[in-house]
Amino acid sequence: MRWLWLIVLASCADDPTQRPLKLWHAYRGGEEQAIEASAKRFTEETGVPVEVLSVPFDAFSSKLTSAIPHGAGPDVFIFAHERLRQFHRLKVVAPSTARLARDKYLPSTVQALEVDGEFYGYPLSLKTLALFINTDLVKEAPTTTDEWLGQLEQTSNAAQTKFGLAYAAGDFYLHAPFVFGFGASLFDEKGRASFDTPGMAKSLAFVKSLQDRGFMPQEVSGALVKSLFNEGRAAMVISGPWFTGEIEPSVHYRIAPLPTVSETGLALTPFLGVEAAFVSSRSHRPDDAQKLAEYLSVGEASALRVNPGRQIPAELAAYERPEVASDPVISAFKEAGQRAVPMPNTLEMAKVWEPMKLALRGVLQGEVTPEAAGALAERRYVALNREQPSGRDRPDAASPIPYVIALGLALAGFAAWKWRRRGPARSFAQRYPEAARGLAYVAPAALGIAVLVIIPFSVGISLAFFHHEAGEYSFVGLANFVDILTSKGYRITEPLSFWFTLVVTIAWTFINVALHLGIGLFLAILLKDPLLKLRAVYRVLLIVPWAVPNYITALMWKGMFHRQFGAINGLLSLLGLEPISWFTQFSTSFSANVITNTWLGFPFMMVVSLGALQSIPQDLYEAAEVDGASKWTQFRRITLPLLKPALLPSVILGCVWTFNMFNIIYLVSGGEPGGATDILVSEAYRWAFQRNEQYGFAAAYSVLIFFVLLGWTRLTRRLSGPEAA
Amino acid sequence: MSGLRLSGIKKSYGDNPVVKGVDLDVASGEFLVMVGPSGCGKTTLLRIIAGLEQLDAGRVVMDETDLTHVPPRDRDVGMVFQSYALYPHMTVRENLAFGLELRKVPRAEIDERVGTAAKMLELSHLLERKPKALSGGQRQRVAMGRVIVRRPRLFLFDEPLSNLDTALRVQMRGELARLHRQLGVTMIYVTHDQVEAMTLATRVAVFNKGVLQQLGPPLELYNRPTNTFVATFLGSPSMNLLEARREGPSLVGKGFSLAVDGDFSGEVKLGLRPQDLLVAAEGPFGGEVEAVERLGFDGYVFLETEAGPLTARFDGSLPVDVGQVVKVRPSGDVAHVFSSDGTKALRHPGAKT
Amino acid sequence: MKRSGLTVALIHMGLVLACAASLYPVLWVVKMALSPTQSLSLSVNPFPQEVTFDHFRDVLFSHDTQGRWLFGRQLLASLTVSALTTVVGLSLAVTAAYALSRFRFPGKDAGMQTLLVTQMFPATLMLVPLYSLLERLHLLDSWGGLVLVYSTSSLPFCVWMLKGYFDTIPRELEEAAVMDGATPWQVFVKVVLPLARPALAVTALFSFMQAWNEFILAATLINEAARFTLPVALQQYVGEWKTEWGHFAAGALIVSAPVMALFFALQKYLVGGLTAGAVKG
Repeated sequence: MRWLWLIVLASCADDPTQRPLKLWHAYRGGEEQAIEASAKRFTEETGVPVEVLSVPFDAFSSKLTSAIPHGAGPDVFIFAHERLRQFHRLKVVAPSTARLARDKYLPSTVQALEVDGEFYGYPLSLKTLALFINTDLVKEAPTTTDEWLGQLEQTSNAAQTKFGLAYAAGDFYLHAPFVFGFGASLFDEKGRASFDTPGMAKSLAFVKSLQDRGFMPQEVSGALVKSLFNEGRAAMVISGPWFTGEIEPSVHYRIAPLPTVSETGLALTPFLGVEAAFVSSRSHRPDDAQKLAEYLSVGEASALRVNPGRQIPAELAAYERPEVASDPVISAFKEAGQRAVPMPNTLEMAKVWEPMKLALRGVLQGEVTPEAAGALAERRYVALNREQPSGRDRPDAASPIPYVIALGLALAGFAAWKWRRRGPARSFAQRYPEAARGLAYVAPAALGIAVLVIIPFSVGISLAFFHHEAGEYSFVGLANFVDILTSKGYRITEPLSFWFTLVVTIAWTFINVALHLGIGLFLAILLKDPLLKLRAVYRVLLIVPWAVPNYITALMWKGMFHRQFGAINGLLSLLGLEPISWFTQFSTSFSANVITNTWLGFPFMMVVSLGALQSIPQDLYEAAEVDGASKWTQFRRITLPLLKPALLPSVILGCVWTFNMFNIIYLVSGGEPGGATDILVSEAYRWAFQRNEQYGFAAAYSVLIFFVLLGWTRLTRRLSGPEAA
Repeated sequence: MSGLRLSGIKKSYGDNPVVKGVDLDVASGEFLVMVGPSGCGKTTLLRIIAGLEQLDAGRVVMDETDLTHVPPRDRDVGMVFQSYALYPHMTVRENLAFGLELRKVPRAEIDERVGTAAKMLELSHLLERKPKALSGGQRQRVAMGRVIVRRPRLFLFDEPLSNLDTALRVQMRGELARLHRQLGVTMIYVTHDQVEAMTLATRVAVFNKGVLQQLGPPLELYNRPTNTFVATFLGSPSMNLLEARREGPSLVGKGFSLAVDGDFSGEVKLGLRPQDLLVAAEGPFGGEVEAVERLGFDGYVFLETEAGPLTARFDGSLPVDVGQVVKVRPSGDVAHVFSSDGTKALRHPGAKT
Repeated sequence: MKRSGLTVALIHMGLVLACAASLYPVLWVVKMALSPTQSLSLSVNPFPQEVTFDHFRDVLFSHDTQGRWLFGRQLLASLTVSALTTVVGLSLAVTAAYALSRFRFPGKDAGMQTLLVTQMFPATLMLVPLYSLLERLHLLDSWGGLVLVYSTSSLPFCVWMLKGYFDTIPRELEEAAVMDGATPWQVFVKVVLPLARPALAVTALFSFMQAWNEFILAATLINEAARFTLPVALQQYVGEWKTEWGHFAAGALIVSAPVMALFFALQKYLVGGLTAGAVKG
């Protein structure tokens, strides 16, 4: 135990201003190498040590926003500029206006880093979209959409699965050029997102027609795009600089900017994404941090960015280097970048993605007409952002006083009820002869649970009464609960509604537990006979799913359910059946989740059933046999009733675990389609970490989950009688 | 060796009184058997003596020391459990040594005591085995050995023979008696089997429903039971009880009349042990034979008489059969008389020894 | 009861089918770990066409910029955290479970209810408060903090299981020990604990596995690559745009291997340990 304390002490020992500078990023591969090399050079030149940390992308932004306000984060971090405004509001970034040499960089990249007149961070690289053209199939780059359509006609042949164009059409990032090209603007004059515009409808119609006319495939994924282009089955691809790393050497291609829309005369204008090195507002070495951040944006660092990073540098001087100027890819993207519009870094921008994803999906799958899609996105937007009738987007603040009084009364009432019964007066010592000892034994565990479970839980519960926005909490009483339970802003039958998700969760739990129990019990019955050959071998093999960590299981199965390359569809094809697109429809998506979770969960039930079966005395069966009962009758009248008390606690526990099974839902189906397969717990997670940190709302959700479970276990205990207590 | 005094012991479980005020003196060196039907409180009382149960009222005093609030391990008492409670994860030797090791007795002495006890109980060749490799009788002896090595002042036995088959039980009874003679230590023994009570005890305490019915040497309880409960509890087959009325010098009941002297009158219960009744040509009792038990030398017949069922003895050579009508006569002055509610003894066959 | 040959054959067939379903995904992962590509491949065949150990090599021997051997450190992290969690969790749980099983004291029933109820807390509710709490205790970004959080979150389950098992140990054994002169603590340590070995093994296994496999808390609470546990390191192969399946599969196998080995070594206790708890509730 002693060295546990040593570890703890060691980690909080040193002097902050002498600690190395911490640099965080989410890069992999060549980009990671470039950053690490740049950091090393900085240390060599200035003597200031730098610690580089690569963070998994999924966790990166929540890690930043939790760590920095607590003073525990990095000094410099690399992130896309879109969240700048949010970082600004959370006060986690420090301005770089004093130091930033604006003329050193591409103007649009600098523009992206401005908020309210101040600049933050130093632009490192830019990302935008361009047209990749297979020069063996198409000679000229199209300048207008009419030209383009002609080329697509020539190069597409659905029967031979050849397409003129392949790109991830369902991703709004890739659809945005069309929106701007058809003259729509994403935001209205007040800066609020606007979806239901003619330009939006036209852009959707255009893209749908490309699909309908066979110019591009249905249901495209990144992997499919890559393989089609590499096999020469897609003449053109819309993608960004990252795509170059995926192209086989045998393919000859060139890169060109996106064409202009013939109808409007406007260019298909992609978003410009700028990756910048931001300085934390809580850095202990602010000057050194600024130096490091700037260093990473210019000079040698820029060169490294190009090679091995394969990124498009923001620094102008970089393009004067011969190795950069002669690189066709880099220059082509720089050109495309000059036509691009910086992705807005407003808070509003972050709210656009989910609604647009829904709209795109709907149009491409033919469920929604292009004209109606805008309104659909609008509705989803309103629901997600919980606009209040008063027009403000937070619930009105309420006074906490009535609640405190109510709480006090409740506690008093509870105490009174507990001590109301005065039976025969037996002394405390008589009723609890081992009180002191018992409490002493329980104390360590109780303390641990009290501090690390009960306290966070209580804090979490109280959060439910607050509204959280950009770091500020305001008390709103029961408003969160009311909003959830009345399904404000969307119909009850829509996936975002609490009730819809509740029904899905209950169905999820029942179906899973029934399957686990059924399969587990069935296998246990098969394995029961101690004389069965290879019994031990079977048992070991059948508990393999249990031994595999469940997030690995989830990702494994997600891979297996992949539309194009998954093993499940492969099996189906082998059997002569149509491959299924698992995650585009609720029934198949739900089934995928159920299959995965069942694979994961049946061993537990099997083992418990085996133990329970073995505890039923053999003579009961023999007596029944003599009485003339058939095997089935024996099962029904002896096995099942005697199994019940043994299995019940495990079933209850299994229900609780399944109800809260976050990993499978989140990692396998990801809630697709459109959040329909999300269960309560993953929905709460999204509210907390993916929809602008609405912690209060998520906490209210979690409280409701908790009460549902509590009610459920109470109910099952009552139903199963005192034996289960 | 010690004398034990229990005064005013009361114990209830919740609202259920199990021991209702028991006073008992146990003499030093005696073998006291506490006997009674299930639920009569004898085991509870034993556990109170051991200190495993808290009493609600009363005192436990051993050799002038009040043990009432002393924890079990400081009472210097040893207990043999009904299920033996041997530590399954320890060998026989470790089981025996456990208590001594806890008290930090020196190794040499532990080995010596364990060796002696093992020899006494014929366990020497089993010392390295684990309990699950032992037979029932062997386990029982290990349980006893555990207590013996500690040499406490008082030995307690909680129905130790009830899990053994009959032959083994008979053998172990003999061994227990021998042990008591050898060690001379005070032993308190709980059982529901009255044969064990009769054969092992120096004194027997009969309990019913939490109340001590009678305390005394076995033969005294057999010959002079203070109430019908004790009368019917000891002796097998149990004593016949017939309702009767005093009429002159006799006791008259349904279909019989028997001359019995004694200072009582009115409605009474007449007690006659089957061993004291003989099937004969003539006798005051008679009825139809319902069942016969032949035991070789003699046997018992179960009759249905006017006054109710009656059990009597018959000489082995007599041809008795089911359905026969026979007569039964007492073998001498064998009548016990109790009050009609059975709570008091009014007469015992006095002159008889 | 003799079964007909047909029945036996059917039983075996059923079991074989179940085993195939059980093993197929795992074989698939093995195949991806051994195949040279980084992407998914369509074929249903769970056996690799070409075998290469490159992915394993990449995962095992990667170094960070300071030349430190990442995998070694992360393995150490996972081992340390999991082992400590098991030790701390088990020590805390074992006394509490015994008290709940044997002693009567005020608040006992409430305590038991709390145990079950804490199982129902959704983790999402606790992440943000936990972060603040640990920060206040200066336990952020340290294995110590992680160990404390893991041990206390697995406590309720451990106590529940152990209590169920303790309930099945006959009280007479403890009474015999008391008569033999043992203090209550000695009874617990010398008589009860040795007899509870199967349950202790199972509980230890669960604690270890939970700590070894946990991802989200580790990712949020630890800030240094050299202190990341293995699951966090593994998750890095799942990128924003694409997953390096080859590396991920190799990493997954490496991460699962110790836990699976432990699992199989102790699996004979599973049936006993689990159902003792289950039967008695």
